[in-house]
Amino acid sequence: MSKPAAATPPSPLRAFWLKWRFHINVLLLLVPLGFMPKYFADAALFRGDTGLGERVVGDVQVGPWSLKLAEFRNEGPRPDPAGPMKSFNAALCATCAEQVKATYLRIGKPRSLRAAGVIFFGTPYRMGAALPIPERTPVDAELWVTMEGWDGTTHQGSVPLSQASPATIAWLNKQGVKP
Amino acid sequence: MTLMRLTRACGVLLLSAGFSTVALAHNPMFECKEIPGEQIQCTGGFSDGSGAPGVTLDVIGYDETILLPGKLGQDSTLTFKKPAAEFYVLFDAGPGHVVEIDQADIQPQ
Repeated sequence: MSKPAAATPPSPLRAFWLKWRFHINVLLLLVPLGFMPKYFADAALFRGDTGLGERVVGDVQVGPWSLKLAEFRNEGPRPDPAGPMKSFNAALCATCAEQVKATYLRIGKPRSLRAAGVIFFGTPYRMGAALPIPERTPVDAELWVTMEGWDGTTHQGSVPLSQASPATIAWLNKQGVKP
Repeated sequence: MTLMRLTRACGVLLLSAGFSTVALAHNPMFECKEIPGEQIQCTGGFSDGSGAPGVTLDVIGYDETILLPGKLGQDSTLTFKKPAAEFYVLFDAGPGHVVEIDQADIQPQ
């Protein structure tokens, strides 16, 4: 006849765990709460509730037209397989939305309309473009905006990169000048 | 019926949300290197890993004359003789989808 093994009493800690484990799991519901501020901030940024971007640069005059430029995020370029990319948002002026066909962005003055840089996509009231930042960009570089109208005219305007994105300048300084 | 429609609408929304990020991360990439025999070999592609066969690649002089109009081959590369004049190479996958490489940025072998 086999005797049942004498049950050793569990340690107090284990007893506490066994008794309360299901109740304690309710605390897991608190975990998403920690992520919520970032989630709602991002949602507002993507929807445009917090404006054009995290940091509004201001108006850039491009011939008879103008556009309001903003950094999508107030930070340096993000890594991408195609090189570091910096996102900008822009809104055309109220009267130019009907007249402008395409808006381009480039570091340095474009050599031609074909090489005018990256194109802004989206509605005229909230367009976006991801600008590749070459590692050898000088800190005194200018950001050039090229606009092409439906009437066939093109106009250009520029803004210093240091004004458009101080975070990118800081990033370039941190990278050091590449040979 | 309404539930079905709602489910479908949600499905489409989710799918488009999924594809929109793919569309965003689709930047043109392009590099050139010098190879033996005064030749330059350029390779194009996109940041989602796809190649760029048939995409226009022009070698353009500093005076904006097109020295050598070309298209990338099936292997997304193009080899051409180094022009005597100053030039840059333009990978042109459509308006706003261009990459320029200046002759100064082409690594000598």
